[in-house]
Amino acid sequence: MQGRPAGPLCCGRCAGAQATARVARRQYFRAAVFARPGALPGADDTPGPDDTPGAADRAERGAAGAGRFRTVTGTLVDASPHILVVGTGEGERRLTLRPGSPVWRGRLAAATELRPGERVVIRLAPGRRDVADKVWASIGRVAGTISASDAGQLIVDEGTTRRPQAVAISPAAANRIRVRFPQLEPGNLIDVIGLRRGATLEALIPATSQPADLASRVTRGAAVVKTSGRTFSGSATWHEPAEPGEEPRGVAYPAVDPAAGCAESGCAAAALTAPGPAELPYLAVGSLLSVRNECTGAARVLPVTGCGAAARLFHDRCLTCGTSPRGRVADLTLVSFAEMGGDLERACFNATVTVWP
Amino acid sequence: MTVSHALQQMQVPLLALVLVGACAAKMSRALRARSVTAVLDATSLFPPRLRRPATMAVCLTELCLGAGILLTSGRAWHGWAAGVRLATALFFLIAMCAVVELREFRPDLGCGCFGDLSSKPPGLRSVLRAGLLGAAGLVSIPAGELTLPPAGPAAALDLGILVTEFLLVAAVSPEVGEMLARLGYAEPCELRAAPPQRALAALHRSRSWRRQAHLICAGNPADMWRELCWWYLVYPGRDGTADCDVVFAVEVRPRRPAIRSAVVRRAGQVSPDDGFDRRQDAADGLSPAF
Repeated sequence: MQGRPAGPLCCGRCAGAQATARVARRQYFRAAVFARPGALPGADDTPGPDDTPGAADRAERGAAGAGRFRTVTGTLVDASPHILVVGTGEGERRLTLRPGSPVWRGRLAAATELRPGERVVIRLAPGRRDVADKVWASIGRVAGTISASDAGQLIVDEGTTRRPQAVAISPAAANRIRVRFPQLEPGNLIDVIGLRRGATLEALIPATSQPADLASRVTRGAAVVKTSGRTFSGSATWHEPAEPGEEPRGVAYPAVDPAAGCAESGCAAAALTAPGPAELPYLAVGSLLSVRNECTGAARVLPVTGCGAAARLFHDRCLTCGTSPRGRVADLTLVSFAEMGGDLERACFNATVTVWP
Repeated sequence: MTVSHALQQMQVPLLALVLVGACAAKMSRALRARSVTAVLDATSLFPPRLRRPATMAVCLTELCLGAGILLTSGRAWHGWAAGVRLATALFFLIAMCAVVELREFRPDLGCGCFGDLSSKPPGLRSVLRAGLLGAAGLVSIPAGELTLPPAGPAAALDLGILVTEFLLVAAVSPEVGEMLARLGYAEPCELRAAPPQRALAALHRSRSWRRQAHLICAGNPADMWRELCWWYLVYPGRDGTADCDVVFAVEVRPRRPAIRSAVVRRAGQVSPDDGFDRRQDAADGLSPAF
């Protein structure tokens, strides 16, 4: 992915740091063009820009809601019943496991079942830097269109900026998955959560129910609930990073302006040019969204970092806490989802999204 | 002419209009979407391979029954009138059962009775409407040949019955509210698809462009994106001895869009990459984009 150009016609998540820089520049330019004279350093008659004006403060205020979670992601170095040692980009971190802290590894497991070398996502206890609240080991998710099916292994197309994903349905979970996804032939949609084993996902949990139609015949569902032009409610899901260097926090948004030529929207596959799940306002990579988890009350301001190609295809509801309005309004990165109090194995949370500011 | 006979006769134009209207609404939707199975509706109760023929069969049946009722209402082909009206009554009674089934098994789908207008899940009103129209079909069987009433009280009675029936059907039709909403609806700018070429053309004609043109040193924007109701265009420029960026915001509006501009000097600007760590600290773990 690093080799891909960060041109204006590419999704943000194609290009790692370059695209992240573009996100910041867009925020700055947008603020500049709407700033009152004197309000913005560097715009027109007030030179000297050196930061996105007020964005950090506003973002902090937006994130000041209940449920402030942090996460640590990395590779497990060592695990004991009470201590986890995790290798992160900044070095090793020792994290304490409280009694009763759930550890997920395909199911609730003991910490000693974790294996060194596994990729772990650890949500920290609120206000604590070294105490784990919940641990997910080797969790993965694949959502998209089945492009090939052979001997129990599926190849799933998640969009043009992501590699095709291999999915093997675990025999132990086959019945549960086949009830929710009865059609596993090419052209049908699938969304499953499971254990990541190298390049293959061992599917264990169906993340939703299979839509009645083939991906190529996805039609517009009922609109999400809109409380105003900038605020809408629906289901927030999560996706795995496509590449290790991808921006860890952000939102893949299902209504990135198609005229921007976003690679995923412009995909030749009919499945990915389907109408969006709802009447969502057009935004661009770099737009800011305030996402609120209605189940935990946690709110965060996150940038749009890509096109939610898979989210466009599912018109489902989230049932995590009550029934959400129909449609996926945000496809969060794995880290953002966990930091907003979402349980990764539950696939979604009910969300209210506001275009920021 | 008695009131009961007038009541029987007035079912005929009512049924014909409802059937032809429903068929026209479905065909209009199919033509606009260029697909018979454009929207999920009551035919979703069928297996996928049968949905297309089912939709076509419903549409064709409505057209045939509507036209049949009109054609057999006069003297010609009047011998077929009772049969057509009975078939119409059966059609609506089957439709009532289908709506009940839809509410039971796919409560998230609209019935599609009147195309796009019936996209909301059907309520009891939709069931009641189908039942009333079925009853109207049965009532119309002994109505006999439809004749124009003589001017005077008889015509007023016919007209009164017809208007009352239409109001009754409208009252049990959820589609009426949707239709009225659409008549007064203009798509908000944030939902409106707009080609970027239009923004460029509007910008190049604008006074803002002429005012900043001397600063701009490239023909094409270095970056261009759409957010809600605005297009943003960034051109590299040079202001005296310093490099700068000229930023334009063009409103998404077909005519006379508002255009704003700003010149952002690059000198002394911290590169976005350098600023990320600082912003991340300030934003307390939020995205470095802040």
